[in-house]
Amino acid sequence: MEVKHLTEHYDKDGYATIKGYQKLGGYENLKKALKMKPLDIINEVKASGLRGRGGAGFPTGVKWGFLPNNGEPRYLLCNADEGEPGTYKDRLMMERAPHQLIEGMIISAFAIGSPKSYIYIRGEYFYPKSIVEKALREAYDNGLLGKNILGSGFNHDMDIYSGAGAYICGEETGMISSLEGKKGQPKLKPPFPAIQGYLGKPTIVNNVETLAAVTLVIRDGAAAFRKQGTEKSPGTKLFSLSGNVVKPGNYEVPLGYKLIDLINIEGGGLKPGRKLKAVIPGGSSAKILNKEESEKATLDYECLAQMDTMLGSGAVIVIDDTNCMVDLLGVLMHFYHHESCGQCTPCREGTGWLEKLVNGIKSGQGKLQDIDLIETVARNMCGRTICALSDAAAFPAMSFVLKFRDEFEFFVREGRSKIKGTSYAKMHH
Amino acid sequence: MPKCTINGKEIEVKDGTTIMEAFYQKEVPIAHYCYHPGLSIAGVCRLCMVEIEGMPRTQIACNTKITEGMKISNVSDKAKDSVKWALDFHLINHPLDCPICDQAGECGLQEQYMHFGKYEPEMGQGKVKKRKVVDLGERVVLDTERCILCSRCVRFTDEVSKTNELGIFNRGDRSEVGTFQDKPLNNNYSVNTVDICPVGALTAKDFRFKQRVWLLKNRESICTGCSTGCNVNVYFNKGGVYRLKPKYNSDVNGHWMCDKGRDTYKHLNVEARLTKGKKTEEGKTTECDAGELAKQTAQLIEKIKKEGGGDSIGLIVTAQYSNEEYAAMFELFKIKLGSNNVFYWINNQKTFEAFDGLLYRGDKNPNTKGLLRALSKCKFDQTWDKLEEKIKAKQLKIVVVLGPENQEVYPDISEKLKLLNSVDNVVWLTTNQVLGTELLKSCWQIPVKSTIEKSGTYINFKGLEQKIKPVTNIVSGALTLTEAAALFAGDEIPFDSKTPVKGERVWNEFFHHRGDL
Amino acid sequence: MSLVKKDAAIDRWFLPGIIAGLFFTIKKMLANIFNRKSMPTLNYPEEKFEYSPRFKGTHILTVKKDGSLRCTACMLCATACPAECINIVAAEHDDPVVEKYPVKYEIDILRCVFCGMCEEACPVDAVRLGPEWQIPGVNGSNFIYDIRFLAYRPALKGGIPSTVEDEERHQAGI
Repeated sequence: MEVKHLTEHYDKDGYATIKGYQKLGGYENLKKALKMKPLDIINEVKASGLRGRGGAGFPTGVKWGFLPNNGEPRYLLCNADEGEPGTYKDRLMMERAPHQLIEGMIISAFAIGSPKSYIYIRGEYFYPKSIVEKALREAYDNGLLGKNILGSGFNHDMDIYSGAGAYICGEETGMISSLEGKKGQPKLKPPFPAIQGYLGKPTIVNNVETLAAVTLVIRDGAAAFRKQGTEKSPGTKLFSLSGNVVKPGNYEVPLGYKLIDLINIEGGGLKPGRKLKAVIPGGSSAKILNKEESEKATLDYECLAQMDTMLGSGAVIVIDDTNCMVDLLGVLMHFYHHESCGQCTPCREGTGWLEKLVNGIKSGQGKLQDIDLIETVARNMCGRTICALSDAAAFPAMSFVLKFRDEFEFFVREGRSKIKGTSYAKMHH
Repeated sequence: MPKCTINGKEIEVKDGTTIMEAFYQKEVPIAHYCYHPGLSIAGVCRLCMVEIEGMPRTQIACNTKITEGMKISNVSDKAKDSVKWALDFHLINHPLDCPICDQAGECGLQEQYMHFGKYEPEMGQGKVKKRKVVDLGERVVLDTERCILCSRCVRFTDEVSKTNELGIFNRGDRSEVGTFQDKPLNNNYSVNTVDICPVGALTAKDFRFKQRVWLLKNRESICTGCSTGCNVNVYFNKGGVYRLKPKYNSDVNGHWMCDKGRDTYKHLNVEARLTKGKKTEEGKTTECDAGELAKQTAQLIEKIKKEGGGDSIGLIVTAQYSNEEYAAMFELFKIKLGSNNVFYWINNQKTFEAFDGLLYRGDKNPNTKGLLRALSKCKFDQTWDKLEEKIKAKQLKIVVVLGPENQEVYPDISEKLKLLNSVDNVVWLTTNQVLGTELLKSCWQIPVKSTIEKSGTYINFKGLEQKIKPVTNIVSGALTLTEAAALFAGDEIPFDSKTPVKGERVWNEFFHHRGDL
Repeated sequence: MSLVKKDAAIDRWFLPGIIAGLFFTIKKMLANIFNRKSMPTLNYPEEKFEYSPRFKGTHILTVKKDGSLRCTACMLCATACPAECINIVAAEHDDPVVEKYPVKYEIDILRCVFCGMCEEACPVDAVRLGPEWQIPGVNGSNFIYDIRFLAYRPALKGGIPSTVEDEERHQAGI
């Protein structure tokens, strides 16, 4: 069943303004948090088991604990560069409840002792950006940001930075480079951002949803937060349901929810006469699940990890039996080829190579060895680069070829799609 | 001091050493392109993959610090497979134009392929096409297709020359190295980017297509362009010297050298050199053997000494010769000829202290310190002013000039020649033909050997003595100053100073495997 | 017993050997007189010997379709040459696709040992050993063959086209 914790008031008018937000209990959590000790907040977040909602699922409290105690200024960055194909939860959160994000950020900044934070918004999000900008101005006007917030003596400044539309800037070090005014390229790790991040200072990068969820942890306490979800994946999460379902959209469900229920109950099932073929459970970078697997899967970090895929950003893409997998892989490979930053060789050359291989099959020029080659190339791109974009490109390629090999082989042998029957070779000439 | 094992051998390294540095220290070969000891770590080529026991994935050696008990291998199957694939990714879009690529023979891709690769290509698709033969200013040509985007050149302009001309534009496999709005790359260190380019993407205009590198030998020497005394490798063959490349010396030049220094080989080649002794008397020029001319000079000096005493013989010195040569010449003048008339010819005193902050110094002589030491040892302290006086007073009957090897940095030569016009006999020892000598009453030019043809000690700006050995023989008839001094004194040249020099061949990977081509 | 084998008495006589040798010569002479077709010698220069097509004779530099030299001046032939008889001077071509070309390509044919290594080494099928084997000349300079001779001598009728074409190579993605 859909539960509404984060999204409780999202449907109410005026929730995006400070008045509407305060009427519904907004900024009360901030007042509560400012009375707490920063370390207690960190411990509370640790105890809640809140995991990063951006994709990697790293425990937020633990991340905050990595900051060194050397008296240097720390930075808090909000990652609102939501570029993962299939994901659009952050956009909703920023459009409907910008103050929730700002409140969560001030609490988090207070917890880690940061005097300055940035919201890095995806370049294409003009409208959400305008709303967050307005909310930020309201927060400043009401003394919620700036010097001596609510008389607590805590100073904090917040700023918005708009990306230029690069997928790679959603990677935390890529985002830091971009924010520093450099080319948006991930930085070599170690040193990790928590030690040397923005401008060489300790930096924490959190997703929009994670920071918003901090308000819930403060409001209800860690124990109450843990009531939802599973042991290792507590809380609720927004899932962006898309693809061949009747009602695509953002749905907040507790972690551990059954994937098939999300599709059939929340999403209203597939269109009549269509059959489920596959599901990508966590954004395009996750490995694809076939029908049998998706019927068994539950939406939590550990179950999907067991199935050799990931929860990622929570973008559930449903694929029914009218789709050609070769075609789909072509789209994905084009995306990753286009978005590779070009720094590390395996990714720079590998993404292009994979696209060429898939396009070769699509144009009817493919050979049977090419299918194996896709897998080999993808395997050799995994884990050999600075950031995870290479893996993100390789995972779909590997899983598509592994799970839907018959479609690829059919395409190579017949020169046309098994599903659509279109002969691309003829189309191209 | 953590201990670790590299390929089964236990070693101890300093705290904070990276695996790559340990490989360098122990001289274990490891594949890499983007790592350069003189630059920051980029970690982008992903070629230096090593297997570390206990880690699920292979790691890059350049950015992994060694911890106690680490077991590292770059020869295990897993590491080799990683390297093989990293190399394959490099090669898939690299054009196969090795035949016309200037880097062939010293190319990182060729070398690593011979070491770690040797397999059939798996790429069957078309390669990405990019711009070729891009003019990057006065000295460098860029081929973006050959570039493997290791970012060494970009980091060089960022970190070493601090001029920030180069950058990587665009993304993914469309990335290209270039300059903003195609502005030229015209700093004094631009050719270093060519040296550190592991492939043929950046080539030097000066060396471009002149010679294949496997037909060149190299030997170390020093650059004579200024008083820094950068250590260089001289690349030469029987056709002469083709280029200079910096040789690492942490005390002098690090990994780099300036572009002006790279030009100093040009006046060493035989086309620019004085190959025979030249006698110019009353406008008529006759050629003869250098040794013969030196013997005639000896007779002339003898005669003048008898007539007018030692002080009617003068010596003009420039700071472009070695300590040993100064010692021999000064001994001849001070003891054998009994002359105190040694004059120091300073070319550009005003800019002596100029310094560009990296390597290039205002003092354009390689051995100013050495000359000053030799002069003070013999208590010679006269300069041109004194010489002018003495010439006007007709005190000098003969002047021996140890002319500059690099005449470009002595712009006042013609002016000084006018002054010498009133001296009866001028003996000019020089490596290159001196223009305007026909204006003199009598000028004997004796060819002498250049820096790369002789052994000697040079003292650089900070007092560091650098001993060099002969690199090659370009003008075999030329004399060193030591030999000239011996001949002037009426002695014979000892035989061994004329032993021909043999260069070492650069045995590179390309050569080892040329049977496989 | 002596280890030295003593000649038989008959071997001390030269006459039997001479007669045997003359017998062979006379047999051949008679055979050539009566059957002139089997005679191995030729009346050179009126008659010339036809070598097999694989014969390695005077070098040819192949040309592209437009008649320019195929050679890229990579100097691999000069490197491979055991007699060191090839002398190439390269230069920058105006066309960036061609990039490098030889301004001077000389073969000192008197040094050449016709081993064919240059042909083997050539990556672009630019140098071949042709069928010609008569190399006349009146003085030393006649035996240093330049581009004009190697690629465009009258016998080649405007140049031998190379089997490798740039366009094909580019299409193949090389």
